[in-house]
Formats: sequence, structure tokens, C-alpha cells
Amino acid sequence: MSSITVDNLSKRYDDVVAVDSLSFSVERGEIFGFLGPNGAGKTTTIRTLLGLIAPSAGTATVLGADVHDEDALIEAKRRIGYLPANLGFNDEATGAEVLDYHESVKGGSRRDELLEIFTPPVERPIREYSTGNKRMLGIVQAFMHDPELVIMDEPTSGLDPLKQEEFNEFARNERDRGKTLFFSSHVLSEVRRVCDRVGILREGVLVGLEDVDTLLRQGGKRVQIQTTDEARTDLTEIDGVIDVQTFAEGIQFIYTGEYNTLLRELATHDVREIEISEPPLEDIFMHYYGSDGGVEPNQEVQSDA
Amino acid sequence: MLETTRYEISRRVRGTTILTVGVSLYVAFIVWYFSLLDPSAYEQIAESLPPAMLDAFGMQSIGSIEGWLGGQIYTFLWLLGLGIYFAYASAAVIAGDIESDRMDLLLSFPVSRSQLLVEKFAALLLPLIALNVVVGGVTYGLVLAIGETIDPMHLALAHLLSIPYLLVCAAIGTVLSVLADRSAVAERAAIGLIFVLWLVESAVGAAEDFAWIQNLSPTHYYAPTPVLIDGSYELMDTGILVAAFLGLLVASQVLFQRRDI
Repeated sequence: MSSITVDNLSKRYDDVVAVDSLSFSVERGEIFGFLGPNGAGKTTTIRTLLGLIAPSAGTATVLGADVHDEDALIEAKRRIGYLPANLGFNDEATGAEVLDYHESVKGGSRRDELLEIFTPPVERPIREYSTGNKRMLGIVQAFMHDPELVIMDEPTSGLDPLKQEEFNEFARNERDRGKTLFFSSHVLSEVRRVCDRVGILREGVLVGLEDVDTLLRQGGKRVQIQTTDEARTDLTEIDGVIDVQTFAEGIQFIYTGEYNTLLRELATHDVREIEISEPPLEDIFMHYYGSDGGVEPNQEVQSDA
Repeated sequence: MLETTRYEISRRVRGTTILTVGVSLYVAFIVWYFSLLDPSAYEQIAESLPPAMLDAFGMQSIGSIEGWLGGQIYTFLWLLGLGIYFAYASAAVIAGDIESDRMDLLLSFPVSRSQLLVEKFAALLLPLIALNVVVGGVTYGLVLAIGETIDPMHLALAHLLSIPYLLVCAAIGTVLSVLADRSAVAERAAIGLIFVLWLVESAVGAAEDFAWIQNLSPTHYYAPTPVLIDGSYELMDTGILVAAFLGLLVASQVLFQRRDI
């Protein structure tokens, strides 16, 4: 049975369509990444799953409970952890007081174990917390009752890189223990590293549902090089080079082919400056899903070079 | 059950202590001031005031300690001041959590919205009970200390009957809290509404054609001065307040249940 099923879910606010006929499911025991730029409707979807907002049309179930059925949803919430994007804790309370409260309502069998990995200063009032400390406190409360399913909205935003890596490892371990993790992100690299499957949302529409290997193949890298004119021409002819932009003394392109091919080609030229980075998410949408967004997943990569 | 109430009560201890001490000091000042007055002279001044004003401030038998307390403390501070305070405090209960995004976390708990609302509301019982018990006790002690006497049963009754009235004020604030997205909006609306309701009752009471309007105001159903003077009150009025309180609380639950967060 799926942990989450979303069936033709729509949410409209007056004239604005936040989520439009969304359908997907998250299987038990997987890490599902929900990827999209800010404003794509990720948070709206997540908040609908938790019953915070009512769908305008369609429905969804979490751990078998329909989001329209408050009683069933309350029962399911015993087995769900939630980490919202904006953590509203009482500023004057200490982390320990907040965790005591959460523990009294939903249990806290893993609290101490979690506080060894994620280390917010629980004795201090939350108003003194950095963004990262608040996030860690949020992670602890989301997992402390050992839920089957954890829904997280941008879980690593505000965490330093070291803690992000610890979180990723923690997430993988949880998956191996049979837990289901559903999390949203606008950072492709993060989703790639942790997730088994990814749903890509754009302007409220699901434009892609991929396993991560496919996404890795399609995502490519953004390469910026300062080099000679001749090298520029040669490079643009390599397979998998797309979206070439030329600027003074250099070029920029998205590379989706074999890394070795590119490196061999580069080695034969005079490279003065190079930067290889994750392409911005928007670029990926532009190139793999078209600017109107409504394209089938697993579409062939097309080179416009 | 009641985990939320316990947590919210722990957050209200400090504010309740400050408020209780503050109100007690004010009572001490008023009682001390009475001991300095020449009661008959004060009664004469009161008689020269327009009846509507006497009514608005609950001034009856102002020369006696019961009348004095009724006018200076119970009608003014208790009825208007604490009425506004409880409406204001409860107005932040839901709207504040929605505004700060804390409601997201609270609603991820395996607890229904209506239970959450009631549990949060119940935490207001701490200031409600603390104020009545402590200030009632302090008032009685101070009255004895300046050599006056007051019937402790009448004093206790004046406090007891104020509870349904203050619950109605708090429930009005809760309804506003559920409707608003920002606590500042709910709080201002709550202050304004209680003040207007008090004014309506005080001002319109004199105009017979519009006298029915005063039935809308909760202040119409709690008159502390007569309770203090001779222990007289209308059980019906208290019943109306209790019914209004329950009705408003259920309405706020229904509205909260239906709204998007």
C-alpha cells in the first residue's frame, strides 16, 4: 500500500490556481523528493496532505486516511511526523520545554537519540536560536515519536553543510529502517543525493515523475569556461552540450553527456577559467520540460546546439 | 488530553502573576482612598452627577464601602477593564498561532481542531480564577484592615457571577481569533467590540426606544454593585451569559474546523 496517494488534487484561491490536478503516489519505504522552484505549489500540497487546508477538488490519502476525514486523519497523525518550512515555536520557551510539550502529545521514544545527531541548545530559549538550531529542533520533533511517515518542507534550509550531510545520512538510514520520507526542496543537488524518486512541480502542475537516475542523466551540469575562440567552437560540437551562451572570452552551456568525453576535450584546449555547477532548477524546466510545462516525463533529451 | 492546556497554562503563569499583583495594588489604592474620604460629602457630589453617568459607572450608595467598591472596582475595572483584557487575550489564541506558523505544528498533532481550541481556551481559566480568588481575598482583607466591614458572601458572589461574564468576553475574542489571520487585527477588534458593547449598554439604557439594544451587550447581564450591596442578582442573567458563552465557543469551533490555515 502507498504511504501517500494524491489523486487529481487541486487548490484554488480566488483566481489563482496553486495546485492543479496533481496525481502521484509515494510508496512505503522510499524517500520521495518533491522538487520545484519557490511558489510552485509544494507547500500547498504538503499542507493539504496534513489537513491544514481543504482541497478545492480531488483528494489525497496519507497512511490510508483521506484528508477529508478528520477522525481518520487524526488517527493517522499518530504515525506521521511533520517538519514545516516555517517553524513557529514560542520564542520565550526553551527547546526542552517545546519538546516536553510535543512528547506529552505524541510521544518521544527517540528524543534522546535524535538529540545526539541534531544538537539544538535545548536549555536555551528559542528566541536565541539561529535558523539552523531551529531547524534541528524541528527535525527532532518530527522524528521523536518514531513515525512511519515523515513529511518535510524544505528540511535542510538553514542547516550548515555539515549538518545537511548528517541529515542526508540520517534520512537514508531511516529509509533503510523502513520509514517513508517525503520532502520538498528547491535544491536539485540535495534531492539527487538523498531521494529514490522525484516529483517535479511547476506552477502547480506535476511536470515530471522520475527515479533519480533518470533525473541525474537529464539534469546535467552547467559549465562556464573562459577559453579561446577555437575551443569554443569545438566544445559546442560535443554530444550533450546544449543551451550554449557565448559571452566575452568564454562560453556557458549545460552538459548532459559523459563527463570523461568533456574532460578529454577540455584537456586539448587552453582553459583559463572553469566552473562546473548544478544548473538552476528553472533551466532544467526550460530545457527538459519546455517553457509551457505540460510535457510528458521521460522525454528524450533534445540538443539545441 | 489537556497536554495543550498544561503547556499553555505554564506560559500564562508570569503574565497572570503580574496582572494579579497589579490589580491587587489598584484595589489597595482604592480601598485606602476610601479610608481618607468623608463618605457623606462624596455622596453629595455623586448625587449631583447625571443619572446616566451614575448608571454607567455603577454608582449606588457611593458613601458605603460596598457602593464604593462596586463603582470604583467592579463596574469599572472588572466589567470594562477585565472584560477587555479577556477578549484581548483570547483574540491572540488562534490568530497568533496562525500568524506565527505555529498552528502548522500544532495541527500535525493527533488532536482535533475543536479539542485544540478548547484546550487553548481552557488555559485562560488560570488568570480568570487567579484574579477572582486573589483579588477577592485581597479586597476582603483590605476592607477589614481599614476598619470597615463587607459581607464576604456578597463579595464572593460578585466574583463568582463575574466568571460567566468574563467567559463571554473571552469567547467573543476567540470567535474573532478564529476569523482573523493576524492577531493584531483580532485583538483590536476584540478591544473595540467590548468597549462598544459596554458603551451601548451604558448610553442606550437611558433612551427607551432603543433600550432593546442593550440586551446585546454582555455587560447588561452582570451588575456587581447590587450584588455587593445586598446580594441581589438575577439567576436568569447568569443563565443567559452561560448560554452565550457556550454558543460562542461552539461557533468558534465550527468556524475553526472549516477554515484553511
